[in-house]
Amino acid sequence: MIIRKLTIKNFGKINNKTFELTDGINVLYGENESGKTTIHTFLKSMLYGISRQRGRAARNDVYTAYEPWENPGQYGGILWFESCGENFRLTRNFSRSRPYQELLSETTGAIADAENGSLERILGDVSEVIYDNTVSVGQLKSVTGQDLVRELQNYMAGYQGSIDSSMNLQKASQMLKMSRKGFQGTAQRRRKEIEAERNKVSAKMEYLEKEIDDLLDRQEAAEENDLQGRDGRRSETVLAEHLEEIRERIRRVRIIFTVLPLLCVLGAVFLHSQAVVLTGLLFLGVVLFLIGLLRLRSLERERRKKRRLLEKWVNRQKKIRWDRGNLEKNLEEKGTDYENLRAEYQEYEKLLHTPVPEDQEVQALTLALETIEELSGRITGEVGLSLQRRTSQILSEITGGKYTQVLMDQNLHMTVNTEERSVSLERLSRGTLEQIYFALRMAAGELFCTREPFPVILDDVFGMYDEERLTGVLQWLHKENRQIIISTCNRREMEILEREDIPYQSLLL
Amino acid sequence: MRFIHLADVHLGAVPDKGWPWSSKRGEEIWETFRRVIAYIRENPVDLLFIAGDLFHRQPLLRELKEVNYLFTTIPDTRIYMIAGNHDYIRREGGYRGFAWAENVTFFMEEKVTCVKDPLLPVYVYGFSFHHREIRQELLQGLAPMEGEGLHILLAHGGDLEHVPMNIPALSASGFDYLALGHIHKPELMIKSGAGYSGSPEPLDRSETGQHGFIEGWLENERLRVRLVPFACRSYEQIVVTLNEESTQGSVEDMVAREIIRKGKENIYQIHLRGERAPELLLLPERFKSLGNVLLVEDATRPLYDLELLQKQYWGTLVGDYIDYFSGRALTPVEEKALYYGLQALLETSR
Repeated sequence: MIIRKLTIKNFGKINNKTFELTDGINVLYGENESGKTTIHTFLKSMLYGISRQRGRAARNDVYTAYEPWENPGQYGGILWFESCGENFRLTRNFSRSRPYQELLSETTGAIADAENGSLERILGDVSEVIYDNTVSVGQLKSVTGQDLVRELQNYMAGYQGSIDSSMNLQKASQMLKMSRKGFQGTAQRRRKEIEAERNKVSAKMEYLEKEIDDLLDRQEAAEENDLQGRDGRRSETVLAEHLEEIRERIRRVRIIFTVLPLLCVLGAVFLHSQAVVLTGLLFLGVVLFLIGLLRLRSLERERRKKRRLLEKWVNRQKKIRWDRGNLEKNLEEKGTDYENLRAEYQEYEKLLHTPVPEDQEVQALTLALETIEELSGRITGEVGLSLQRRTSQILSEITGGKYTQVLMDQNLHMTVNTEERSVSLERLSRGTLEQIYFALRMAAGELFCTREPFPVILDDVFGMYDEERLTGVLQWLHKENRQIIISTCNRREMEILEREDIPYQSLLL
Repeated sequence: MRFIHLADVHLGAVPDKGWPWSSKRGEEIWETFRRVIAYIRENPVDLLFIAGDLFHRQPLLRELKEVNYLFTTIPDTRIYMIAGNHDYIRREGGYRGFAWAENVTFFMEEKVTCVKDPLLPVYVYGFSFHHREIRQELLQGLAPMEGEGLHILLAHGGDLEHVPMNIPALSASGFDYLALGHIHKPELMIKSGAGYSGSPEPLDRSETGQHGFIEGWLENERLRVRLVPFACRSYEQIVVTLNEESTQGSVEDMVAREIIRKGKENIYQIHLRGERAPELLLLPERFKSLGNVLLVEDATRPLYDLELLQKQYWGTLVGDYIDYFSGRALTPVEEKALYYGLQALLETSR
């Protein structure tokens, strides 16, 4: 594409001005604030229209910034250009009240609406963003060396990964990963909470299991007791027999030891024998009586003991029977409790494996990351190497072979090679960095506008160039034989062009 | 004659597991049941129907005793109850063998039986679940017996796995009222003379709206019913539609106001809709501090003109990216991915 002529009817602060351009080097010269940027914006707006921002953002968007104060109904102009051998005239009015766009092919005489795709077809593969990245070259913004290096590396990385030097893929993926981490954290916290609840239930279950085991043990013991109980019943009858026997013996002792002393006393009374015999008999009676009493006492003691034993037995049997009933009920209740807890446990388990809303966000973020990586990888595969190769070539040409190669590694770190060694960007002068930047932009322009070469607009890019470097670049531009628009507030460019005898056209603002 | 129809109380359930208010909800389910009984004590009714799932799981003895005690506090009310699919009657334990208070009639069988109320001309029919599921159409062809008075059927279920039933046919066969349980959202079917009373307390986030029980009474020989809201909290939805001017703070304020208006005690699901400024990164987690917020669904889109962006960025990564996601129907995940990626690429660019 070659821009032939532009007529600015009313755009920003410029009105009714016409500029004719050559297809070689054009130098747009003017003081600061003289309207150079307005011309660049005009060119871009003619080719791509001005997309309006919505809402509050519209207050200081491009449209508003360049809307003329006077006569706002007339907002635009005419652009003549050539594309693939065909001449066109593009007329636009951006005004709100009378928007108008017309594309005339001066070659065929066909008229079309510029908005319906006909202009896009002519612009081909150069979309608005590609235009920003290739046609229009601004100066590096950074001041200090470190920032400059970073900026340059970002440009190159942006080109390689996305054909858009303004992109910062590392930052973008960082942002996505941060969001993803946030959602993952939330989901994890939530699962942890559920896990904690589940563990509480399982602790309860464990406790209950122990209780049930305990009850089962007791039940078993009770059953054993029952077996013993059968023996016990036998011993119960034995005990009862004993008791009966003791009772019998008591009765006998009572009789014997009542009758014998009595006989002694009676004998003593009725026999009237000697005093010695008398006393002996009485004494015997008393002794027998006392023996009887003692015997009776010990027997009573034994009887009481046996009776206590028997009572104990009976009571124990009663208790065992009552206990067993209770145990069974208790076991049943605990069993139900356990079953309920198990159901609850399963619910928690299910909940743990149910997707949470955050999972979807994580999936979406992962998909975004992967898709960006894949598409960007494809771009790098297609253009990365040729971009480095062409940038190296241009750099070598404008530096007279001093630097032969520009390289970017996987970590997006750039180095340049001279004939002898490799130098990292940090160690290069600002001037050299500017040259690399220039080479990069030129290479991008060639690579990304594949259908036909586009003009290159160099907006104040040579400010930091010394005499020698500027001469090299201008000579290279001349050799390239492309349409170049250099906009500058310096006379240096024109002076060098004159001195080097390079043809150019000056446009004064 | 006045009655209360209650169902699906789910005593013992603990809704919203893992959320801070969860255990409180478990207590509130019991508390609301106690409040229903207290309500009956103050406004005595003749009959109380409990149409199944009084308990969330197999009732423990102490729980049965607790409930039975509550029943003894309303001695003038006859209680008719059945077991549902959650508290179904097992071979041992649970309901089996429990001695209920005098005013309680429990339909123990898994087939419909009928009991006449001792005081009123009311015939009550019912059956209990003995299994978790009953796929059989237990109630097909069922009709009330002869007898002057009201015929009321207690039934639990109504879906495919739980006693499929044809409600209009049942009511056409002559029942005056079908006191139904199993569906947790209350539903009155006036034409059929039937109703699902729903759970007195909502049990999960899908159970939005009012919850309580059904009250019925005879008015000029005609049976009337109405829903009585009784739950102490509800599940609420808040939909906020964002626009370009919305910020995290403005949305939070809007949500906070809505929560206060609808009641701080309620449990919320927040749905964000509309279009937001591309540079706004919403932090949904922050909404959770505004109240009982169970879920924040962010379906907002950054305000990008995709068609325009695709044109402007044609040939670059952003163009490729939009291209990758266009010309086909997107899944929700893909649509989110498109906007996430686009936002990241554009917002981090110079």
